[in-house]
Amino acid sequence: MAEIVTGKKGAPHTDMTPMVDLGFLLITFFMLATTFSKPKTMEIIKPAKDDPKNKDAPKVNKNRVLSILLGERDRVYFYQVAAEDIASGKPLQVDSSDFSVNGVRAVIKTRQNDVLQAYGSKDTLVVLIKGMPKATYKNFVDIIDEMRITGVRQYALVDRDKVDTVIMEQMNLIK
Amino acid sequence: MPKIKMKRQDIRMDMTAMCDVAFLLLTFFILTTKFRPNEAVQVDIPSSTAQIPLPEKDILMITVGKVGGEKDDRIFFGVDDQNTRISMLDELATKYNFTVDADMQKRFKLLDQFGVPLDQLPQLLKMSPEDLAKFKQPGLLCNPEAKLMAGQVGSDTAKNQLGELIIMARTLNPNLRIAVKADKSAEYGRIDDVIETLRKTNSNRFNLITSAKGGLGPAPAE
Repeated sequence: MAEIVTGKKGAPHTDMTPMVDLGFLLITFFMLATTFSKPKTMEIIKPAKDDPKNKDAPKVNKNRVLSILLGERDRVYFYQVAAEDIASGKPLQVDSSDFSVNGVRAVIKTRQNDVLQAYGSKDTLVVLIKGMPKATYKNFVDIIDEMRITGVRQYALVDRDKVDTVIMEQMNLIK
Repeated sequence: MPKIKMKRQDIRMDMTAMCDVAFLLLTFFILTTKFRPNEAVQVDIPSSTAQIPLPEKDILMITVGKVGGEKDDRIFFGVDDQNTRISMLDELATKYNFTVDADMQKRFKLLDQFGVPLDQLPQLLKMSPEDLAKFKQPGLLCNPEAKLMAGQVGSDTAKNQLGELIIMARTLNPNLRIAVKADKSAEYGRIDDVIETLRKTNSNRFNLITSAKGGLGPAPAE
């Protein structure tokens, strides 16, 4: 009878190191190729197109309104001007700022405080956002984001009107 | 001096476990990776503090951006649902009088977005993938003042084909949600054209796609 050899032959050893190297190399590649962060969205709801028959749109006291005009080169202009002021030929007060923390956000907060003192609630403030054609999309997103950050409840994207045209001329924004 | 013979110790680590882990992770990443499709227009989206994630499906994507070194912002259109794409192609073929063969249909089905005036669509679909990658698409015609559904009548500047496409897609698939994806540096004037078109087609609810800001961002007031 043959003897059963039970001697320690040792399990066959394969060197796994290169395989591990390869594994991690591929992991690195796939990690870099993966896009994990899902894009976020901002929802915008615009009012339906104006009914031309409806001429009696509600008028809002200019003290409650802050108009913001997005301009070129990341500048933003803001003012409180009513249509009557243009007709009377008074010099218009237009200030400009930028998108830094002390810029447009401070302006909105100041206005919120004014409105809070005058009307008892800062939610009375209405912000009108208008953009010049040369403003960038980034500015547009930033200003809407700013509304959320400062907690402005009532804001609207509106078309430029006569007042804006006068202001743009005055500020030499039209070339 | 007596020579001490040191037995050389061979350190052997068992790599099997590590190998297992590596391949487990590898499998995970392979399965979760979605390769970025070859996009006709490169868009660098702005960041915001918005937190709402984009829905996974039924998206009508309007992309505004510059194409390979050109200066103007161009408008692209895309629907993620392939069945809607096929029915859209059929409708476009009837409207713009071109014939669709199986090859063109297949290409349109796999085309994530396109931006050519609609009467040039057949030429676009006849291109080989290599040519398509090199081709600089001129963007969709979008004049928000134009009458919708003008078809082939009138000059190119008096057309709003983006509006036509939006209406067509939403009729075919009412679940579509509209998303606007635009480059940071895109001009507001062009974005305004898109928003005005959306408004004209009664799509008053839409999403702007942004990326999350690094960190938590400034806290909302109060």
